[in-house]
Amino acid sequence: MDPWRLIYHPDGDTADVVSHGAAVAEGRIAGKYQLSTTLVPNTVIVQRSRTRGIIAGADVRVDRDAAASAGIEVAQAPRQGRNSARAVSTVPLGELMAKGSRKFDAEEVEPDDPSVILYTSGTTGNPKGVTLTHRNFHYQCTTVVPSIIPFTPKDTVVGVLPLYHVYGLANGLVATLLFGARFVMVPQYSPAALLEAIAENEATIMPAIPSMYQHLLTIARARSTAMPRSLRYCVSGGAPLPLAVLREFADVFETEISEGYGLTETTSSVCCNLSGEGYKEGSIGRAATGVEMRVVDEAGGEVSPGEVGEIVIRSDTVTPGYWNNREATAAAFSGDGWFHTGDLGYRDEEGVFFITDRKKDLIIRGGFNISPREVEEVIMLHPKVHEAAVIGVKDKRGEDTVKAFVVVMKDKTLSEREIIDHCTDTVAPYKMPRIIEFVETLPKSATGKVLRSDLRGETVDMRLVEQETA
Amino acid sequence: MFGRKRKAQEAARGGGLPIGLGRALEEMVRRHRRREALVFEGKTVTYQELEESANRVASGLADYGIRKGDRVAMMMPNIPEFAYTFFAIQKLGAVAVPFNTMYKGREISFILKDSGARAIVCLSNFANLINELREDCPDLEHVIVTGQRTLVFLDPDATVNVQIVCERSAFGSSDGALREIGVVLVDTLAELGVKDAWYKHQGAVRVGGRKIATILLSEIENLYVANVVTFLKQMDAEPLFKVLYVPPEIKDKALEPMTGIAEAAGNEVTFEQFKDAISSVLAARLGIHLEPGELTRDELIAYEKNRALANRI
Repeated sequence: MDPWRLIYHPDGDTADVVSHGAAVAEGRIAGKYQLSTTLVPNTVIVQRSRTRGIIAGADVRVDRDAAASAGIEVAQAPRQGRNSARAVSTVPLGELMAKGSRKFDAEEVEPDDPSVILYTSGTTGNPKGVTLTHRNFHYQCTTVVPSIIPFTPKDTVVGVLPLYHVYGLANGLVATLLFGARFVMVPQYSPAALLEAIAENEATIMPAIPSMYQHLLTIARARSTAMPRSLRYCVSGGAPLPLAVLREFADVFETEISEGYGLTETTSSVCCNLSGEGYKEGSIGRAATGVEMRVVDEAGGEVSPGEVGEIVIRSDTVTPGYWNNREATAAAFSGDGWFHTGDLGYRDEEGVFFITDRKKDLIIRGGFNISPREVEEVIMLHPKVHEAAVIGVKDKRGEDTVKAFVVVMKDKTLSEREIIDHCTDTVAPYKMPRIIEFVETLPKSATGKVLRSDLRGETVDMRLVEQETA
Repeated sequence: MFGRKRKAQEAARGGGLPIGLGRALEEMVRRHRRREALVFEGKTVTYQELEESANRVASGLADYGIRKGDRVAMMMPNIPEFAYTFFAIQKLGAVAVPFNTMYKGREISFILKDSGARAIVCLSNFANLINELREDCPDLEHVIVTGQRTLVFLDPDATVNVQIVCERSAFGSSDGALREIGVVLVDTLAELGVKDAWYKHQGAVRVGGRKIATILLSEIENLYVANVVTFLKQMDAEPLFKVLYVPPEIKDKALEPMTGIAEAAGNEVTFEQFKDAISSVLAARLGIHLEPGELTRDELIAYEKNRALANRI
């Protein structure tokens, strides 16, 4: 075999790493068309960059200033055209579209045909596929949403929530388009990108999660320039929004802001704590139009106001069941069609709902139920605590013990003793955290919910790829 | 506010939106044809344009055999192609299976297998991640890619970039090329003291589930271009997160679990040693003898042009 050429570049820069390969490929192709007589051999290029760098695809927006100050070079990969290199065994969407027809009439579907399957990770075992039907989306957008979010065709909606999540998909993209409004897509969340999207497009409605509201406020506090005032209605969901954040945000951005509640299984929102007169701190509000909601005991009987039980929901916005998973479906529904959310909570005299905990997060010690959320709230009252999460861990005798994970405020120090002392005054002895672990961050889901199952160590690392055994 | 709310309610109910997301979109396009539906990085897409693009994807997917009831997976961030693909699937009467773009490995293969997805539309960055799971997902026939959002991180102490540009005939099929390059990498790593590296077909080289090298094979005209990144040691990704915003609580999920030669072999290896090792393995395994060379005059012109483009941003 003819020898191959080795090009060895131990000290190039980031742009070199992109350019060498491209140059060799182009040079060869050009040679072919010019019927060049000097045959260029097959080539292996071994190279590295002498500084840190990022080679970014043509569509990526990289923060150039941040890169420069971090000493990171940025080089753009060449934009791929119709005739440029393409990854093997794939079909470019652009090519598929170019061949496709501009006209296509929608197929007739039945209301109960599945339209989307969304996978939610359970605490243990494999994720479950939640089947959502055309009826579910239709009902969510035409009946539930209008009682929660006042969309009109004149609105501009910020699409910052990921569209693979039910909240972003059902209350964001689909609802916006079925109301004839305008949807601003934010491909990669950063506080600055979100603020820019709101300001440049004069966005009027924003569904988002608590951490995003917090981040926007952090920017607002740091900047002397005025914040955009175009937002007129915001919804927070996915995790509880601290009241202080809600108030400050409403004030700084001159907008209404409400807290919603919903699940993948309910095609997102089913409940909303509307700001204004009916607002109740810490609640998820009343059931939305078209949604029946109850609090039940273990036997499925409705409990009286103020009593904690499991929240169950019945509505046309509720999934018919889990994909390929009859057991999970049977376990989640009671005979008369009530969907069991697994969330514990209560209803007050006025029909306003409050969530206390996830059923599976409940800690049981000496026969007493301990609400992790209650203990967390006490710990978070400490001025040096940024965030806290509480779980039950088994002690030597196999009984639940309260363990707290604590994230300390930036630049502050805090001892175990200080936390214990702080809790002693406010919580019953059996609820006291026995183990305290300081951590830098808490594991969270895409919508910012703390993943207690990760803290319990129940989740296996599903990201690893196993080697098949021959 | 309540007056507005009632009006919105009536607009939605009284408007008689059909049940069925494909038909419902058609109805909204009839009502709002010229109005803006999507805004993305300063560009706008009208309702009519959105529908036309969705139609093109729908008929394109139909050409690939996707029918009513089939599942089509989606792995994309919030880009217009997400909306085109989502509504294309709805117009086909098929079932959309969008999932978290941070998923890796078994998370993805479980969803693809469980849903029985026949096709996936994903960001081009994820092509490798999906391709290497194809053997485990027999229902998956088509990997459709979009967007140019790939990111390659370079670190002088941690990463080595190897590019192979050759005639396709040097390897035969793309399958064969990937397999041979995979074997070369596993052998090179073994020579450098990493004993338990293995290659997952169409994908990456790993040690105990953690990635140590990636291979991306592209084709252009009569050529294969392979881009290989190998980690000499575990890369410190922290500086990169200063440039690309990732919320702190999901940082550990943003990248696949990785390792490097230093960690896997227990001793550090220089860039030079890596070059020598891969050169000798290419000779021993594939009979490829490398002779040191430089770029030709034609290539230098192409190199200057590409450098200018790379620095243009």
